[in-house]
Amino acid sequence: MKILSLFCGADTFQEQLEQIRPKLYRVAFSWSHNAALADDLVQETLIKALKNAGQLRDPALLNGWLFSILANCWRDHFRQHREMEDIDELEDYRCVNETTPEDEHAQSQLVSRVWDAVAKLPVGQRQVLTLVDLEEFPYIEVAAILAIPIGTVMSRLCRARQALKTLLKELAPQQSAQVGQIRRVI
Amino acid sequence: MMNNKNISDELLNSFIDNELALDETSEIFNAIGKDDALKERVCELRGLKEIVQHAYRQPLAHRMSPIKKLRTWRIPHIRNMPRLATCMLMLLLGWGSGWIMFAGSQSMGDPKLMRLFEATQSNGILEKSGNIIVHVSNSNPVRLKTALDETENLLKSYKRSNRQVNVEIIANGGGLDLLRADVSPFRKRIALMKTKYPNLDFLACQQTINKLQKQGIIVKLLPHTGVASSAVEEINKRLHQGWDYVRV
Repeated sequence: MKILSLFCGADTFQEQLEQIRPKLYRVAFSWSHNAALADDLVQETLIKALKNAGQLRDPALLNGWLFSILANCWRDHFRQHREMEDIDELEDYRCVNETTPEDEHAQSQLVSRVWDAVAKLPVGQRQVLTLVDLEEFPYIEVAAILAIPIGTVMSRLCRARQALKTLLKELAPQQSAQVGQIRRVI
Repeated sequence: MMNNKNISDELLNSFIDNELALDETSEIFNAIGKDDALKERVCELRGLKEIVQHAYRQPLAHRMSPIKKLRTWRIPHIRNMPRLATCMLMLLLGWGSGWIMFAGSQSMGDPKLMRLFEATQSNGILEKSGNIIVHVSNSNPVRLKTALDETENLLKSYKRSNRQVNVEIIANGGGLDLLRADVSPFRKRIALMKTKYPNLDFLACQQTINKLQKQGIIVKLLPHTGVASSAVEEINKRLHQGWDYVRV
């Protein structure tokens, strides 16, 4: 039975990882807007999680721990590709710069407008915004995941939402001039 | 007394994210009730939060690679030593019984070959057609080596069992480094593989080449490397033709 329980423990951990995987993917995608890169980042995160599972003392902290690994993987990705640059100021970067079937099958206009706007935010703001809005992490957890002070979380979030508001207005389709010219004839 | 002018954006963000204490939340609710401009600011922020949630709510999971890829093409890690010991014991038992059962019937002693069979069988490749497209999109040398190792093992195993297999390795993005004459760490190996296995083709993505050229990089490909107009199109085409797809 002990042998079985050893396997069960590993299975439970893997099951938990598989359950959280779509959430990790969603956030990785919202950071990169690149399906292949998001997939790579999540796989890297899971491999690191499996490798360092012993470091996680409290299973209740699994969620935050995984997202902090993801944030590190994302940071490493930038270090590999853009050395000596401040990732907070970097605009969106696409690893595989080509049209993918995902891009070709265009999303609804609203969704793609939001994706475009979020992609234009500086990386640091984008990370904070998506962790708060998509995963609904408290500010204090976001600070721990990204290893930044809570004040920075609040200011980045504030700037992100201000910028997003402006970007969404800019990206909104212009109303046709003809609409204003419709006149009632009866 | 709170009003629209003395409530900062940061405070309103904390309000909509439920980060405030109860008394602060009540104060803001009171202020909203008396101030339309403040109400408008709160609505705008809530709207932004909801629109972001909506944009990423769509099922994105289908874009992820299947779990089995993670387990078969990468080395699984064990949590701690007791589990490692248990696994080793089970593996030894399994190997022992397997060896007794199959000794003399088949030559499966090569550990690389066994790993290959594990990977290919779990992907259903050996059971289906003998056409496989291997997609390399990452410049990490470990991945590039894995792609070549796994492909070579696959070709060897088919050759040994006298079965026909066609393999295409298609590279795009960072993976193009594999096929670039001036960058590839595996020039000689690729040349050898190409000579040894006529049914192995290497293809580079034209779109990636174009993008590199726009950045001022002159792309020189290895000899006998084909060019596909787009990696995505090539993969789609092969999938429609019933080929198996493996991404490394």
